[in-house]
Amino acid sequence: MKLKFLAAMLAYTAAAYAQAALTADQVKTFTLNNGMKFIVLESSSIPNANMYTFYKVGSRNEAPGITGLSHFFEHMMFNGSKNYGPKMFDRTMEANGGANNAYTNSDVTVYQDWFPASSLETIFKLEGDRIAHLSIDPKMVDSERGVVLSERSTGLENSNVRMLMQDLDSVAYVAHPYAIPTIGWESDIKAWTQKDLENYFHTYYAPNNAVSVIVGDVKVDKVKALATKYFGSIPKRAAPPAVRTVEPEQKGERRLFVAKPSATSANLMVAYKVPEAGSADNYALDVLQALLTEGKTSRLYKALVETQLATSVGSHSTDGFDPGLLYMFSVAAAGVEPAKLEKAMLEAIDKVANDGVSDEELQKVKNAKLLGIYRMQETINGKAQMLGNYEVFYGGYQKAFDAPAAYEKLTTADIQAVAAKYLKKSQRTVGVLAAKED
Amino acid sequence: MKKLFSIALTGAAAVAASAHAAEFKLPAFETAKLSNGLTVYMMERHDVPLVAVRAVVKAGAVNDGKQAGLANLTGDGVLLGSAKHSKAQIDQAFDFRGAVLAGGGGSEQSTVAANFARKDTDTLLPLFAELVQEPSFDAAELDKLRSRKVNGLKQAKESPRQVVGTYYRAMLFGNAAYGNPASGTVNSLTALKQEDVKAFHHRYFRPDNAALVVVGDFDPAEMRKKVEALFGQWKAEGPAPQRADYGKVQADKARVWVVNKSDAIETTFMIGGPGIARNDPDYVPLQVLNTVLGGRFTSWLNDELRVNSGLTYGANSSFSTLSQSGSFGISSFTALPKTEAALDLALKTYDRLWSKGIDKATLDSAKAYVKGQFPPRFETSEQLASLLGDMYANDVSRGQIDNFMKDVDSLTPERAKQLVEKHFPRKNLQMVLVGKAAEISKIAAKYGEVTNLEITADGFQP
Repeated sequence: MKLKFLAAMLAYTAAAYAQAALTADQVKTFTLNNGMKFIVLESSSIPNANMYTFYKVGSRNEAPGITGLSHFFEHMMFNGSKNYGPKMFDRTMEANGGANNAYTNSDVTVYQDWFPASSLETIFKLEGDRIAHLSIDPKMVDSERGVVLSERSTGLENSNVRMLMQDLDSVAYVAHPYAIPTIGWESDIKAWTQKDLENYFHTYYAPNNAVSVIVGDVKVDKVKALATKYFGSIPKRAAPPAVRTVEPEQKGERRLFVAKPSATSANLMVAYKVPEAGSADNYALDVLQALLTEGKTSRLYKALVETQLATSVGSHSTDGFDPGLLYMFSVAAAGVEPAKLEKAMLEAIDKVANDGVSDEELQKVKNAKLLGIYRMQETINGKAQMLGNYEVFYGGYQKAFDAPAAYEKLTTADIQAVAAKYLKKSQRTVGVLAAKED
Repeated sequence: MKKLFSIALTGAAAVAASAHAAEFKLPAFETAKLSNGLTVYMMERHDVPLVAVRAVVKAGAVNDGKQAGLANLTGDGVLLGSAKHSKAQIDQAFDFRGAVLAGGGGSEQSTVAANFARKDTDTLLPLFAELVQEPSFDAAELDKLRSRKVNGLKQAKESPRQVVGTYYRAMLFGNAAYGNPASGTVNSLTALKQEDVKAFHHRYFRPDNAALVVVGDFDPAEMRKKVEALFGQWKAEGPAPQRADYGKVQADKARVWVVNKSDAIETTFMIGGPGIARNDPDYVPLQVLNTVLGGRFTSWLNDELRVNSGLTYGANSSFSTLSQSGSFGISSFTALPKTEAALDLALKTYDRLWSKGIDKATLDSAKAYVKGQFPPRFETSEQLASLLGDMYANDVSRGQIDNFMKDVDSLTPERAKQLVEKHFPRKNLQMVLVGKAAEISKIAAKYGEVTNLEITADGFQP
């Protein structure tokens, strides 16, 4: 799943930086001899638990010819291993009351299991078996190709934003593999080989390239015993090759147009180059994104929706190991020319760097972030996602607990400074999707 | 992503729980009735310092009459300011405190919901009470909202997945009240006036036709006083609105609606017929049976259409329940050239309910699944508030929740067979196909009497 751009979801994902009542010392960790790290949080509010396993592999590890392979692998991980043949992973899990899903983006592939806590050992058996002994059955590969082609086309059929974002990425990046759509190009989906799949598995699905987070009605000692039993004997592998390509500096605005005949109004997307997840500017950028696009009092909502130029605004940013993009987008009201909408949108964005933000506006976003934390910590899944993201992208799960202070420290000058530094014309790509080109 | 979440036909019904894990108990809550007739539910939870509040009104698209979209516009319009505070003041008050404020109208219930920090209760609860009882429906703001909704309706038709369920409902219930599209149509919405919205609010938003649900971090004695002070003066005038007969599914012959979307690259479809009401005594066991057919990843439909054949990214089925009746539907989508193969396979797989039946091992697995997946459905205050609101609006007794475990555990293969015969529609199946008519119309005739529609035409009926 590459897109999680809806404003409502952003309230959860972007605010995933901290816990209030929860403290760092409640979180326990251990690392097996093969390098696989486990993060455990005991939480007994419901008799359930989850297991989120993060593999550091995504479409940034791909190249032409094998685009979409990370995501395809996410699918193949459900298609059989030594002790659980085709279909048996899901059948066993569901018969034990569990459910699962997974998502892939440019940087990570994450497997999510949700189950009654009493089924913990079954989940460990299943997860351990597929990392140790995945089968890549050519027959399953063929039918799964059809599934992924359908996933690709249904995304394009039902979401203009997805279609526009895919093409925008290929314009915004000239060298870095962030240009590759995570779902893959159609011709690659149809063409990758058995050998490609086997290489990929052996390169990236190593215990030392994974972090597993378990939150719920479990005991740390039990989790440790099960982890050792079911993952301990899986051999460590050589570290995967680093992504070498560094995106060269963008020297000026880039533009694109996508024609979609059935579009009833124009879709506009503006994306600016921003630094990687661990950057010191991250908190200020996160606040900037929120004050521009989140809520009915956000800058863009007031400038575009309240003025009836647009029917909605939104934004998206992904945690990434390499410098990425901050996307902002809006859907025009019927009959509003994209150029008119673009002018108003860019003016509203530029205003932050030019005129700054008020104390009240900054305080509003800080308050919203705090409530976002509370909502996140209402569920075991919110907690697992938060701990995993911080561990993988921000240098350790503990950083989640430092974040409130980092946000609190931000001043209006900090926000204006990051706006001036990153929201520049030369660093943006502007995309328009509409029924036809003029 | 491995799975797509299933298409929910009605937001309210989709929240309904399916089963009960052994250790799980619905948290205690109290029910009271104020002297003006307002039903009040309060449930204390102190995990996080948040309060979820919602007003649930028994009014929705079934009360729209010829003015499709009226309940929905009213439900959202409530947020546009009160007699005492402008929209800008309301937005500022909630946004500044990180609070969430939402309104809306579905088929049979309209909801105004807020979620805020405990410490902001005294600032925001009075504003919430004003919006529910004395919204201003400011003319300029209402115009903007209506125009945004009209645009939204046009945009929704760019995505077959967003509208296939609305066509399906309209097909099944015809001109009966349950067939009304909650969103309205471009023409019907455009015609709505401020006075229509005001009259709808006056008629239905009244204490003897509504419930107030409060779940979260509060002191019950203090909250009772606040609720009494803020909602006790709300007056009902004249006789309370009564529910009428909102209609039944019409399925006297097999029918196919082909909705043409000329640039479609896939065919999006629903197949089914009559279902059950939300408070049907068989509601819980039917959730288990539907789990086998199309309610989880290893369900028969997903296994056949996705895993075995690669025809689609996902296939599922569900009962969409209403207070008086309901519908059943299979949903999926496939690449245009595979349309016939996918439809045939969906029908063949569905027939296994009768030709093969559900064996004990499969049933046991489904029972374990619905029980195991139950607790996370009621983990947050917002989820619990939504459940209490649905119970009120759909006349569901506590018994259905409390007896979940018993109802799931007692289900046998013999009983499953009886329930399949009784509740799953086998004959005269109804089908909606959204796609490229030029290529799928000839296939459609195989499945029933064909009616052709254009997706760009107004509304959701021929």
